[in-house]
Amino acid sequence: MDGHFRAFTFVDRITAVEPGRQIRGRYTIPAGVAEFPPSLVAEAIGQLAAWAAMAFLDFASRPVAGLAGRVQVHGGALPGQTLELAATLDEVGEDAVSYGGTAHADGRLLMQLEHCVGPMVPLADFDDPAALRERFALLCGAGAMPGGFPGLGPLPLELGEGEPGRTARADFTVPAAAPWFCDHFPRKPVFPGSLLLHVNLQLVAALAAELAPGRWNLREVTDVKLRAFMPPGERLHLQARLTVLAGDTAQLVVETRLRKRLIGGARVALTTEGER
Amino acid sequence: MSNTNITQEDIAAIFPKVAATMADALGCDVEKVTLGSSLIDDLGAESIDFLDIVFRLERAFKVKIPRGKLIEDARGDLSESQFDQGGVVSEPGLVRLKAFLSEVPAERFKTPVKVADIPRLFTVETFCKIVLRQQRAAAAPPA
Repeated sequence: MDGHFRAFTFVDRITAVEPGRQIRGRYTIPAGVAEFPPSLVAEAIGQLAAWAAMAFLDFASRPVAGLAGRVQVHGGALPGQTLELAATLDEVGEDAVSYGGTAHADGRLLMQLEHCVGPMVPLADFDDPAALRERFALLCGAGAMPGGFPGLGPLPLELGEGEPGRTARADFTVPAAAPWFCDHFPRKPVFPGSLLLHVNLQLVAALAAELAPGRWNLREVTDVKLRAFMPPGERLHLQARLTVLAGDTAQLVVETRLRKRLIGGARVALTTEGER
Repeated sequence: MSNTNITQEDIAAIFPKVAATMADALGCDVEKVTLGSSLIDDLGAESIDFLDIVFRLERAFKVKIPRGKLIEDARGDLSESQFDQGGVVSEPGLVRLKAFLSEVPAERFKTPVKVADIPRLFTVETFCKIVLRQQRAAAAPPA
């Protein structure tokens, strides 16, 4: 369990919490990682919200990734930066938590999440409730030592045949082993939904490179839905499809299939405006 | 909470917004969403879609939709044990359920009806009625 609370944990300290209602915390991105993509900033906000939900439910249940209504990207996070995280829980129930949240760095808003929903699962199926209780106390107290995240490592896409400038397709094999499975989750390793979003955004970037010349930046992701867990070793089929190209804006739909079943989807908006 | 005073006109008035909301949640064309569409069998909804639909309807109509309450309302004044007998809806429970889900054609209630399969009966009209009931509950003066 070397990677537990290290390899895929993005909250170092909880600075304020009202369980079930709101929570603030921070996370310092290790200086040595190559990148900290937007999907991991969203993951950090989600993890913070999860702590508030788990504490409210006395660590009997935990939320998993399910829905994200809107992920607004205002800027990129850099290695070495400290993210100031905040989440507000609209509702915590036995079946789901709904929340929104933000991430700032150096006083600048990087990301805003709205209308997120995490379905609840029995915590003991995924992790050790006692270990989580202890970790929560540590985070609310002195905080955890930063620097556990080793970086993502390669997540290669096998690009397939698409229609240039309209559709891009790729296969992606969930790694059979990776450091972050120790953390996500110790008793039930599954590919994080935020990393599925990350590989989908890589496919979007490949398609965007074929669009009208311009430096395309991620503006927002909406209607994110994850329908199934993705165990290690699964082979996923990804598709990105351009739906609107108008001036400095491009809109795309991404879909992920496991065999023939649609297991994930999202809408992505890109813009050429502004440096991120 | 019963279906009293919910008219077809009431349902027709909110159906377009309910249909658009469901189409957004399910990623399908809005034309596919009819009043009689079964969410699971016709529209392919899974459990995550039910959560998505409920939260979107709450935002669209500014109501709260307590998720366990639908079965509780269908039960009426029957206790849980009177309604659910070993995971199967009892005879009196089925009478209540059919009255509560009056929009669902009788032939869809294939006996025995498992309690866990009740959501399989839900149609778009079921959710129209849920929204209307919650709107009325919110507007009612406090007891």
